[in-house]
Order: sequence, then structure tokens, then C-alpha cells
Amino acid sequence: MTNEGGDDRFLLSAMVPGRAHWWCAAFVSAGLVGVLFATVPHARNVLYGTEVLLPAYAAASVVNEVITSVLLLALFTVQRSPAVLALAAGYLFSGLMLVPWVLSFPGVFAALGIDAGLQGTAAVAALRRIGFPLFVLVYAVTRNRETTAGDWAVPVERPVVLTVAAVVLAVSALGWLMVEGNVVLPRLMRDTRDVAALWRFVPATAIALQLFGFAILAAKRQSVLDLWVMVVLFTLLIETVFLAYLAGGTRFSVGWWAGRACGFVSASIVLIVLLSETTTLYARLARAALSERRIRESRLTTMEALSATIAHEINQPLASMVTNAEAGVRWLGRPVPDTGEALAALHRIARDGVRAAGVIDGIRGMFTNSTRERTPLDLNRVVEDALFACGEEAGRARIALRFRFDAALPAVAGNAVQLSQVVRNLVTNAVEAIGETGGGARLVTVRTALERSGSVVVSVADTGSGLAPGDADRIFEPFVTTKANGMGMGLMICRSIVESHGGRIWALDNTPQGTIFLFSLPCSGLPAVPSREPKE
Amino acid sequence: MSAQPSIVYVVDDDASIRQSIESLLRSVGHTVAIFDSSDAFARHPRSDLAACLVLDVRLPGRSGLEFQRELDGLGIDMPVIFVTGHGNIAMSVTAMKAGAIEFLTKPFRDQDLLDAVHRGLALARERRMEAAISEELQARVDTLTPREREVMALVSSGLLNKQIAARLALSEATVKVHRAQVMRKMAAGSLPELVRIADRVGTPPPKA
Repeated sequence: MTNEGGDDRFLLSAMVPGRAHWWCAAFVSAGLVGVLFATVPHARNVLYGTEVLLPAYAAASVVNEVITSVLLLALFTVQRSPAVLALAAGYLFSGLMLVPWVLSFPGVFAALGIDAGLQGTAAVAALRRIGFPLFVLVYAVTRNRETTAGDWAVPVERPVVLTVAAVVLAVSALGWLMVEGNVVLPRLMRDTRDVAALWRFVPATAIALQLFGFAILAAKRQSVLDLWVMVVLFTLLIETVFLAYLAGGTRFSVGWWAGRACGFVSASIVLIVLLSETTTLYARLARAALSERRIRESRLTTMEALSATIAHEINQPLASMVTNAEAGVRWLGRPVPDTGEALAALHRIARDGVRAAGVIDGIRGMFTNSTRERTPLDLNRVVEDALFACGEEAGRARIALRFRFDAALPAVAGNAVQLSQVVRNLVTNAVEAIGETGGGARLVTVRTALERSGSVVVSVADTGSGLAPGDADRIFEPFVTTKANGMGMGLMICRSIVESHGGRIWALDNTPQGTIFLFSLPCSGLPAVPSREPKE
Repeated sequence: MSAQPSIVYVVDDDASIRQSIESLLRSVGHTVAIFDSSDAFARHPRSDLAACLVLDVRLPGRSGLEFQRELDGLGIDMPVIFVTGHGNIAMSVTAMKAGAIEFLTKPFRDQDLLDAVHRGLALARERRMEAAISEELQARVDTLTPREREVMALVSSGLLNKQIAARLALSEATVKVHRAQVMRKMAAGSLPELVRIADRVGTPPPKA
């Protein structure tokens, strides 16, 4: 599975961050820098008695980081990217390491009889501080490596279980060694509050690793997860600066606590991002599923309507043929056979046969490949031909047809017969709409134009009675009609033709009165079809 | 085929169907008038012949079923036979409840339509005959004087001459004269016949 894979583009680890993500990340980072500057003057003031807050801070951080780790593991089971697995392991390591750290912290759990001595807690802190950036570094380095399905042919549970077990074992062993073991630890602390000279290497190394990881991530094309991991590294950087330099390593000072706060923010960031993105994504998927179902249902009703119409269209001539044949038999079966009437009945049968065949032909035309044929068309010419066919009808109703064409129209790929039918349907509708009204301007204006978006738009504007509010959305559905004796099929057919051409059809109110029907078609990217200039 | 003159009206928007039904009905001797819409039929001056209506369910504008409900309001009283391209049970129940005598699905057997038309015309004739009789009897009642009507009502309610005389404060002889006049004017041969006629035309209830 690759990062570019179709299904993965919704995953955090593959999704490209939007503008909102960048703004949010910048805002969080700026806020932290602001806190940094605000606390600088007081950084070294020690807040006595704040030891009691430490267990609460540690508990919250542990829960945060373990949940983040679980969510990242879940992401891994979907995407199977080793980078995500490394990041999950990092969070698990960082969260679990807080347990021996706070348990052994001098003076906090003294009542429980746990005292790891001066250097144990510091050693745990040093390991955690350097360990997490290392995991992030692994994430940064491996994250663009494409994995194939073959790499993870093993069940997905195995790497997850192995990773979790390894991290838990490592943390337990390290914690036990540092806190209880009689390992000779380097001298990191001078007393319970202040660090020794050796400690200086710990923040320096951490900062170096953090900057390195930041640089690697910044150099690559980022995903949403990358962006937020960068924010996390930045936050950790500020935390380290606080703890090690501004607070001068002094525990429980304002700077030290500000650093802890930064650490907590950093632990929460990926968690919040994972949770919010998952929720958003879930909502989006639910909406997509819903709209897909709606489309399917409307397609179904269209098909039902179509089949009912076809059944009716074929049944009528069939019924007529049967009755005519029976009438003919009776005319001939009279005591004095009436051949004239019988002949007339036979002629009608033949006519009905032709009519039924025409219906079948039309249906075949609707579904066979010939209608899927797309040739580069000059839409101006198609419209002009259609208008010519409608001219007589409009003339009878004393309605003027006007054609305003865009001479620079690019060619569209389409079926001339079908598109001509769409134009004819719309113009016929427009003529009928005006016919219903009495006086006023009796004018149908047809326009062609090239949109800035690159699609070609044909509009048919009438000066008729207009649509009732709400009708504009419904009229393209089957069996919906505003005409006294309409079937409600014309606009539905128009829509199906336009949509099969990759276009769109809609209706607007015309000012001062009437309706405009518009349809747009994507242009084919072919050069304009050389043609005679259409006349207005 | 028909002893008395009659006419069949056909309303269908499909010209082929309309013509084929017309031809079929004419081939067995019916007089037929065809219309492409219910409005055209409603506007057409109808003759006074026994008539029935062959009506398509699916018509432009109002459907055949709607038109059937409006017939009474238009003063049109004739049996209706429905034909439809795609009928369903609900549709036929609606039509039959509203008084249609047949509901045929296209394509139908010619004999079914002819039978239905035959029944329709027979029904129309029967209704016409009933109407004619009622009209005739009403005309006879109209020739009675108010006093004779009173006597007729009391006689047909079963009172004896003596009782009627007492009720109307007349002599028995006068009642006898009125009674003889009623029997003559109503062309009733016997008392039971007079009672049947009185039932049919509905005499005003005797005043107490």
C-alpha cells in the first residue's frame, strides 16, 4: 500500500494539510513563544510547595500519551506504515517513562517509601528526553518509504503486539535499573533541586535531535500528521529551553513549570488532532454515504419512470392493433362483408406497427453505443439547427426566437442528435410557457457562452409565467410537470442527456419575468470546429 | 343490433385507440361519437338517445376517474366503461365504487368491450324507460285538483270512503265522486294499481 493510494488519502498520515491546519499550527507555535517570553523575567523564581501538583501533571500526561499511542497504532493497522508504528512506540515510551519518573521523584511519594536516590529520577528524565526525539527521528526518516503489501504479509496484529511488548519491557527494565538497581549512575544532580554539570549534555543532545527531526520533516512534502509532529517537536524544543536554560535546571521554578506545561501541550497536540480529524472524517464519510444513497434512489425512480413510460408507449399501439384486428374480423364477418372498413382497419394496424417500432427504435437509440459516440461539435450549429426545427411552432404562437451566440466557442465532445433534442425540449418548453401567458414580451432568447471555468453554457430564457418557488429544484425529476397536460418526462430526459455528457442543467428566474434554463458542457480541449458563421 | 336507437361516446386521447374502438363498435352496428378529451365531450351537445360512455383513465388534464366524479354535476347520466393502459386494483375499485359498469385493461378482448357496451346501453334504456314512466305518471298527477289529490292520498293510505268523508268534512257521496275522478284521471283499473302509482309518484302526506 502506498502513501498515494486511493483509499489512504483520507488518513492523517497521508492527507495533505489544508490552509486551516497551517494557520492552526502557526497559532499554537506563536502562542508558545509568547508564553516563553512572558515567563522569562520570572523563570528562576522557585514556587515552593508545588510538588503536590506533580502527580496530577504526570497522570494527565501518561493518559494523554498512551491514548495518542493507541490511536496511532490504530492508524498503523489501517495504513501499515512503519513510520506511524515508530511514532506510536515513541508516544508509548514517553508516556510509560513518566511512571518511574514521578514515582521516584524526590519528596513526592516519600510516604510510600519509594526513594530512588538523587540520580535515578534524573536518569529516567534524561532517557525520556532523548528517547522520544529518537523515535520521532525514526518516524521522520522512514515516513516516505513506500511499503508494499508484501512487506506486511504477516497479520497486522503481530507488529503491534511486538512493539507494545518491547516498549513496555524496555521501560520496565530501564525504570527498575535506574530506580532500584544498583547501577552506578552518572552524577546528574547536585541536590534535589539543582542539576550538576553533566546534565548540560542532556538538553543539548535533545535539542540537537529535535532540530534534526524538524529539519527532515520540513524538507519533505508534508502530511497533516507531519505538520503536527513538527509542532510537537517545536513545543518540545521550547520545553527543553525552559527546563534547561531559562529555569537553569532549577526544579519547581516558574520556568520549570512553564516547560512542563509546554510538554503537556505537546503531548495533547497529536491526540487532539487525531480525535478531531477522525470525527470530521467520520462525519464527511457519513455525508458522502448518504448522498450516494440519495443519488442511487433517484436513479432508481428515474429508471422506474422510464420503464413505465416505455410500457405505456408500446402498450398503446399494441392495444390499438388488437382492437383494429378484431374490428376488421367483424367487418368481414358481416352478412355483407364491408371490405372498405376492413381495409381501413388493416391500414391502421400497419400504422400502429410502425409507431410501436418507432418507440422501440427510440429506446434502443437511448441505450446503444451510438448515443455514447462523442464527436467534436460546434455547439452554435447544433443550437441553430434545433432553433430552426422549433421555428414553425414558435411562429404559430407568435413568439420570436432570438439567438445570441459566442462566435469563439470551443468545440465540445458530444452527440449532436441528443444535444439538439435537449435544446429543442427547452425551447419548446419556453414557447409553451409564454403561450400560457397573455400579453407581454413574447420572446425566447437562446445564448451560447464560454464560462471562465472553461465550460460552455447554453441558456434558454423565456418571458413566460415563471416557476413557483421551489419548483426549480423539482422540475428535473421524473413525472414532475407544471404544464396542464405534461408528462413530466422532457426535462428528466434533458438532464440525463446533459449529465451523460458530463454537464449540468439548472433553472433560474428571468427578470423581469419568466425562467432561464441553462446547461453547461465541458469543452473537449479540441480546437474549434471550423464552420460557417451562424446567423442570428 | 339495437332495436331502439342508441349512441356510444368514446373519450380517449390516443387517436389510434379512439379510431379502433370506434371501428369495432360500428362493425356491430352501434352509433359512435369520438372525443379526444373529456372537455370536448362535455361541450358536445348530447342527443336524447340511450347512451353509454367509454372513457380512458389516463387523459391529459384531469384523469378519466376525476371526470367520472364530475359527470353528475354536468347533468350527464350514463353508464361508464373504463379502459386503461395500466390499471391497478385500487384504480378499478375507485371506478367501480363511483358507478362504472366495467373496467377493461388494454389490450382488451373485443367481446369484453362489446358485452360491456351492450350492458351499458341496456342499463341506459332501462333508466330511460323508468324515467319516462315516472314522467307520465307525474303528468297525470298534475291534472288532479288539490281536493282530488287529498282524496287519492287518503284512499291509497287505506281509509274507507266514510272515514275520508269524516276526515275532510265532506259527504260520503262527494268523496265517491272525487274517488271516481282520481281513478279515471290516473288511469288506474283497480285500487291496488292506484296504490302502486301513488307509491311511485309519492303523494303528499294526508293532513291530520
